Amino acid sequence: MNLVESILARASGRRKVAPGDVVIADVDRMIMHDLSGWITAKVYEEKVKKPLARPDSVIMVFDHLFSPPREREADVLKTDREWAAKYGIKLLDCGNGNIHNAVARGGFIGPGMVVVGSDSHTPVHGALGAFAAAIGNDCHAGMVFPYGKAWFRVPETVRVELSGTLRPGTTPRDIALWLTAQIGEGGAVYKALEFAGPFIEGLDLFDRWLFPLITVDVGAKCAYIDPDEKVFQFARELGVMGHWEGLDVSPPSARRPESVLRFDVSKIEPQVACPPTVGNVKDINAVVGHKIQWAELGGHGGGRIEDIRMAANILKNKSVHPQVRFNVVPCSRGVFTQALQEGLVQQLHEAGALWFPPSTGSNQSINMGAMAAGESMISTHARNFPGRNGSAKASMYLASAQTVAASALHGCITDARGSTP
Amino acid sequence: MSNFNFSGKCWVAGDYIPTDQIIKADRVFLPMAEAAKFVLEDDNPEFGKHVAPGDILVAGKHFGQSSGRAVAVKALIATGISCLVAESFARTFYRNAFEVGLPILEAPGIRAAITQGDQLHVDLPGGTVTVLRTGQVIKGNPIPAFLLEMLSGGGLIAVAPQLIEKDNEARSGNTQS
Repeated sequence: MNLVESILARASGRRKVAPGDVVIADVDRMIMHDLSGWITAKVYEEKVKKPLARPDSVIMVFDHLFSPPREREADVLKTDREWAAKYGIKLLDCGNGNIHNAVARGGFIGPGMVVVGSDSHTPVHGALGAFAAAIGNDCHAGMVFPYGKAWFRVPETVRVELSGTLRPGTTPRDIALWLTAQIGEGGAVYKALEFAGPFIEGLDLFDRWLFPLITVDVGAKCAYIDPDEKVFQFARELGVMGHWEGLDVSPPSARRPESVLRFDVSKIEPQVACPPTVGNVKDINAVVGHKIQWAELGGHGGGRIEDIRMAANILKNKSVHPQVRFNVVPCSRGVFTQALQEGLVQQLHEAGALWFPPSTGSNQSINMGAMAAGESMISTHARNFPGRNGSAKASMYLASAQTVAASALHGCITDARGSTP
Repeated sequence: MSNFNFSGKCWVAGDYIPTDQIIKADRVFLPMAEAAKFVLEDDNPEFGKHVAPGDILVAGKHFGQSSGRAVAVKALIATGISCLVAESFARTFYRNAFEVGLPILEAPGIRAAITQGDQLHVDLPGGTVTVLRTGQVIKGNPIPAFLLEMLSGGGLIAVAPQLIEKDNEARSGNTQS
């Protein structure tokens, strides 16, 4: 059995599971954010009305709605807080960071766990060796809350092997964007993606993180990377190794994935996902020079310390282009502290960037980042669908932090490898 | 309805429509009957205004992608459609549909076979769609028995207690199956 099959077998009390089996599995961690938590709580109060089976396994994070702009949103957060207090569930209130970074870096996720969440990027926790899947409000309300369990169909697995060395100027985020187009939107529906190969093994944990992040875009159920010493060290420091003990995972040579996709990353140029969908990915040359009014390091794909360092490297002692607002959103409080200690906050501030609280930034422009018709933004976000950030006639381009920062400097989409666009 | 066969007039929707475009995030604060009028407001603005109970919606590829919120399914149910057929579905949408109680069928080739307003007959357990205008029968992907049972049981919240009980029995080895 591969990692996901082993985790699901143990969590469902079976010796073995195979793709296609439907199992009821014990859930180790359930995560939800402000809006999904509010909807789930409503369904639960109206239709379920049983005690919470394992309040200690549930975590709510205020990251989409991180600073209520109106009374209606303030009411949502107030209801969420009261609800969390009533059932004794853990709440990470406004300013704790992006939901997935806040829970992973906060020591709530470890290898071998079953993790569910309503946010569609929940599969990102496969980077830590967890089985992590997005499920809907009714499953949370109807099974996870009252029983601490959820149903799953054991997925077929597609192994994605990546080899080669990055060209100078290409970053792991570029490869992840490129892979979305290679596998295709809806190209791996219901599958588990096993990311592997020397390129993946060589990456640090939060660069690996960018790969399971594309799970939902290609339609897959979950993704994972077999945890190694880098992950174990991270998990040991946070005290979340408990679910790894005793897990029976076969070595890759003994597994039988449904298919294997092999890619060499060596020749890949920096990539940009252009509107209207995440699969419309192009070499940066195709869009260089396109004028932008907004740039953002934030959303599910950015705001890591790696991103902030790349931006500071490009903008230090320079100025953001006068026609551009450059938003910087740390993905967690810890990352913001690190940026402060490294002097990056001051460097980017002096370059004209705007710092926002640790959160999911302008994802869906709930608190910030709405665009007017005809405006364009380049960001590290995970989504670019029209209308998600303000006007349906605005354009969102997705890229690496390096491309975002270089574009903020020049006022148009810019290849960071050249000095001018 | 209990045999999950549906006849009705069809509406069409495009490819790769995310849940935020089935119903915009902002509309979730409206009462569901009101929100229903805004379903697919960008893709097919006529749909929310003129859809009638029993109509059938036919969508394109990877319908319901992006955010996995079940409210997209609930808003579609509130429009009164009897069922939804698509070239393919995003997995979170597919799961939510059966959990919440919207009959859906994946039928590759359906979009090319119909035009808006066609009368269709959908046989969910049989997995077929018949286009009455042409007589063409499109074969859909079979629905797992587990999901059909969930649908006929009234959705996940209704059947969860039995599922858990059955699982507890299986785990303690007290059942013949």
